[in-house]
Formats: sequence, structure tokens, C-alpha cells
Amino acid sequence: MKKILVANRGEIAVRIIRACREMGIGTVAVYSEVDRPALHVRMADEAHLVGPPPSRESYLRVDRILEVAKASGADAIHPGYGFLSENAAFARACEDAGVVFIGPRSETIALMGEKTSARRVAVEAGVPVVPGTLQPVADLDEVRREAGRIGFPLMLKAAAGGGGKGLRFVATAADLEAALTRARSEALAAFGDDRVYLERAIVRPRHVEIQVLADSHGNAVHLFERECSIQRRHQKVIEESPSPFVTPELRARMGALALALVRKAGYVNAGTLEFLVDADREPYFLEMNTRLQVEHPVTEVVTGEDLVKLQIRVARGERLPFRQEDLRQRGHAIECRVYAEDPDQGFLPSPGRIRTLRVPGGPGVRDDSGVYEGYEVPVHYDPLISKLVAWGYNRKDAIARMRRAVSEYKILGIRTTLPFFERVLRHPAFVAGDFDTSFLDKAFAADDRERARPTEVAAIAAALATLRERERSRLKPATEAAPGAWRAAALREGLR
Amino acid sequence: MIFSATVAGRTLRIEATGKDGRYRVRVDGREVAADLLETGGGFASLLIDGTSHEIGLEATPQGYRVLFDDDSLSVELQDATRDANAAPRRAAAGLLRILAPMPGRIVRLLVEPGHDATAGQSLVVMEAMKMENEIRAPRPGRVREVAVREGQAVESGAPLVVLE
Repeated sequence: MKKILVANRGEIAVRIIRACREMGIGTVAVYSEVDRPALHVRMADEAHLVGPPPSRESYLRVDRILEVAKASGADAIHPGYGFLSENAAFARACEDAGVVFIGPRSETIALMGEKTSARRVAVEAGVPVVPGTLQPVADLDEVRREAGRIGFPLMLKAAAGGGGKGLRFVATAADLEAALTRARSEALAAFGDDRVYLERAIVRPRHVEIQVLADSHGNAVHLFERECSIQRRHQKVIEESPSPFVTPELRARMGALALALVRKAGYVNAGTLEFLVDADREPYFLEMNTRLQVEHPVTEVVTGEDLVKLQIRVARGERLPFRQEDLRQRGHAIECRVYAEDPDQGFLPSPGRIRTLRVPGGPGVRDDSGVYEGYEVPVHYDPLISKLVAWGYNRKDAIARMRRAVSEYKILGIRTTLPFFERVLRHPAFVAGDFDTSFLDKAFAADDRERARPTEVAAIAAALATLRERERSRLKPATEAAPGAWRAAALREGLR
Repeated sequence: MIFSATVAGRTLRIEATGKDGRYRVRVDGREVAADLLETGGGFASLLIDGTSHEIGLEATPQGYRVLFDDDSLSVELQDATRDANAAPRRAAAGLLRILAPMPGRIVRLLVEPGHDATAGQSLVVMEAMKMENEIRAPRPGRVREVAVREGQAVESGAPLVVLE
């Protein structure tokens, strides 16, 4: 493997390019018209335009991406996550074109990527699942019928989905119709597929997932769990490993369940099995992600392994370089997903130009970013701009280090979730490890609304900044820019 | 100078004297020593009676957005030097324009003119950064105008709905 095409953008494209560089493998980036200035385009050895800004016309264009692969002589394609990463048709098109798809075989993606068939395989492998419809539901009548059988509360989920899109919590029968409409519409926009299925909602669930890795010679290992219960609107925002909730017995049991499923499915390459764990520490298999995960760095940091390099090695036919008993969780790692969202305005998207960027450093800190100072975060794609990871000897140290790193991380020009992370990381329930998947939306949100805010300091700062500005404009000779021109420029920058 | 500063629903009277970054500031009758040093890139170091605050400052149409490690607050400023009793600025009586909080695409309109919206009711669904976001009414009111149509792309700050 001499050259890899990275069929993605943003921070994950940068992450893959970094692995390739370290392995001495050439990189080919693809980009949409709006992504010409993107960091992955600048970092790759080659970059080729694949279409207009909407994903459907660029990053989801199988034909264009394969054309670029052929023209550039790439041996393999790494799909990252999102976009085409769980698209079996794309994996098959790669196989047919003689380009290695870095991931499972296309038939495995079809089997395990589609949630309803993955559940059937899980049941066959003896892995417990959450009660629900095994098939996508056809219409509102069927949804009502099945909902009556499964019971409320329940979840509507996109059959082709992931990442919180096309997902709706339904508390009572009265909310079904509206939830179905919204779930379908989001699923269609995100995945080009509006089919949804139903599942019972587990009360006080923890979201715990197991990272697996299998080679094409029949060897498979798990790389322990990741705790992903800190979610906002079903979107993970903070992940850690180990989970403060998982006992050694549960870890061993979940690892064994995950490997049973991997063997049943004949799975090859990296994958993740997501489980809900209830208050009695009973795990229920939810779904399998047949790709790298956003939160893969916490596993890398505690195990000392590089999952992207291992994906590439497996894809070129190598054996896993270790056995299960060689793997250890060392210390504790936490990841915060830095989103371009405004936590003080209901997490509305906050695209725009990054005016100032200061990245944290020091011991035990890793920043997997896809942006730079002066870069304009486009409105067309996912708002994830960076993943900040901190390591510590134990959970307490890791939290302290993450708080230190968050306070050093400065982004001006767009709003990000960084200030919000500082508040989550110091919340007593988070510090105690006592939370479930509803924590951010309920208990934390209620406490956060009541927090003391630095209103006086802000008022003094704004007043004095205005005074400073007037002092400066008075000092300026009349021939120079008219008074207020600097401010007008700053306003334009800020509003753009 | 005297300012009327509105922040997080509170209005403070700020009286500042001094220059070159060093000021005596009276906040609601209490006096503090404040030292503002702009350190570049939109950042500033603010000392209030010796307590150090590292902040970010972004100009907004009404004043500044002040960024802290764990919060961010929009401050609306009014020069109250001439009229020390100036009341904080209020929205034009009766009418409330709901503006697009970010650039994006209108996915669905949930209300029509004449509809009586309740506080918190979703008015418009906007898509941006691959998520659908519900734009809600901050207070009750009758919908006077819907200024966008489904499928339309809008810029940040574009009027969406006018409430009476």
C-alpha cells in the first residue's frame, strides 16, 4: 500500500493523514468546492475537487471518489466515519474497482451496518438485545401497532443511521406521529434513507461500547470499553475509558459478548459494539458501527495502540500484532468533542471564521483538530471541529488535566462547546461518575440554568472595552480611518 | 462615563473614570479598581481589585460578547452619561422579529400568519450543520408575518417570523 485516498474531511481526515505520514504512505484528499481552504486539503500530498458543497454532490459521490482514486493511483480508500464509511454499496464498488476499502467486507457492512439485521445476528450469537421491532416499520399504523406491543417510552431510530440523526424519544402515544415525521425527515437528509424502527427505551441507561479489532486470519481482540453516557440530544459529547460504572466482571462479560458477535459475523477490521447497560449492570446490544469511531482516541490513549494504523495493517492483510492477553487499560482517558455550537443559545450551530485559536499543550493532552486560525467553519457539514483528549493516572487526574486543557483552549470568532465542558467537568455527579444517558439533558441542564454567572465582570469588561476604543479613536489622526472603522471591521468579521 | 449595561436579563449602572486601561469603576454604587489590558487577538486581561480574569471580547451590534473559560455573556451597552436615568433599551412596542440565529436552510414552517403562538412554541425548523433546529417563540404572540418559505437558504440575522 503506497497511497491512500481519504474519503472524508475535517478532523478525521487530518487524523488519517497523520497515520499515513507516520507509516510513509502517500495521501490523496478529496474536497468539495467550499472546502478548498480545509486543513485536510492542505495536509495531504494530493487533493482533488469532487463537487459542490452539499455532501450528496461531493463527499457522498461514489463515482467521483473512485475516479479520483483511479486517476491518482491510490491503492486503498479510508472512509473515516460518517459519509460513506458504512455504505456497503461504496465498499463493494471499491472491491469491484480493485481498490482496498479500509474497513470490513461489503457484505459484513450490509449485515452489521443495518441495525435490524445486526440485531438478528446478535440474537443468533447469544448476545442480549433491547426489545423492539427487528424490521423497519412501514407506516404510522404499523408504528402504532408495534408501539402498543413494545410499550412506552420508546425510541424511533433511523435504520441506516448513527450519530443521533433521525433519532427520536417518544414518551407517549400522542407524540408518535410528530416524532415519526421528524425522524424520517432527518434520516432522509442525513443518510438518504427514511426507514425507521422502534425500540423500547431502557430506564436510567448507561451507554457503554466495546472496541473490537479482527484480522483476515481469524484473530480477534477487544480493546475494552468506552463510557459514552454523556450525551446531548443522543449525541455523544464526552467519552472516557475505562467506564467508572463497569466492573472487571462486566468488562470481561461484555468483551466476550462482543467477540462472540464478531466471530458470528465473520467481521474483519476495526468496529464498535454499542451496548446499553441498565441500573443492574445488564448489557443490551444496541448496534454495531462498522468503522472507526469519533471517540477512538480514548482507547488509543489507554491502550497505547494506534487504531488507524492497525486498520491499515489489517487492510493490507497483516496479522494482529498482539493477542488479547497483551492488551491493558493503562490509566484513564477522557475526550471532549469540541463542536461549533453555542452552548448559551440552545447549542445552535455556530459556523463562521475562527478569528483566534490557541490550542492547549503540556503533559497528557492531545488535540485532534481539523481547523486553524483564520479558517471559516462551513455551514454544510457536521459541527465537530476538534476532539480534545486528556490522560491521567486515574479518573480524578484525567478530569483535572482535562479542565486545565479546556481552560487553555481559546477559540474566538465562533461559539464552541468548550465553556460548557468546563461546567460539566466540575459537576459533582460527573466527578462522582454517577450519571446515565439523560444526565446532560436533565439533571445537569437544570443545575446549569441556576448557575451563578459572571454578569458584573462581563458588564465592567464591556464598558471598559468601549472606553478603550474611544480613547484610541481620539488619538488617531483625522486623516486615518474614520472613528469606528476598526469596530465596523470587527463587526463585519464577527457577523460573517 | 456612565453606561447602562444589560446582561443576562439584569441591568447594571456602570460609572467609569480614568484612562489608559486603569479605571475607578462604580457598579451599582460599589467602587472597584479595574485594569483592562488588551493582549491581542481579541483577548484581554482584566484585574478587578486585583482578581485576575482572562477574557475574550467580541464586538456585537449592541455592545460586546464577553467570553470566559466556563461561560459567555452578551452585554448590551447604552451611553447613560447625558441622561443618567436612561431606561434600558426596549424592543419596539408590540412587535418582535424572530431572526435566524445562524445561516442555514428552512426545512419547515410550523405556523402561518394569524396563528397564536405560545411561549416556547416551535415556529420554524432550520437545518444547519446537518442538524434540524427548531426556532421557538421567546414569548407568546400572534404571528403577523412569515418572512421565509420552505427550502429557502437564509443568512444569519435574516428575519424569519414577526410576532405581535
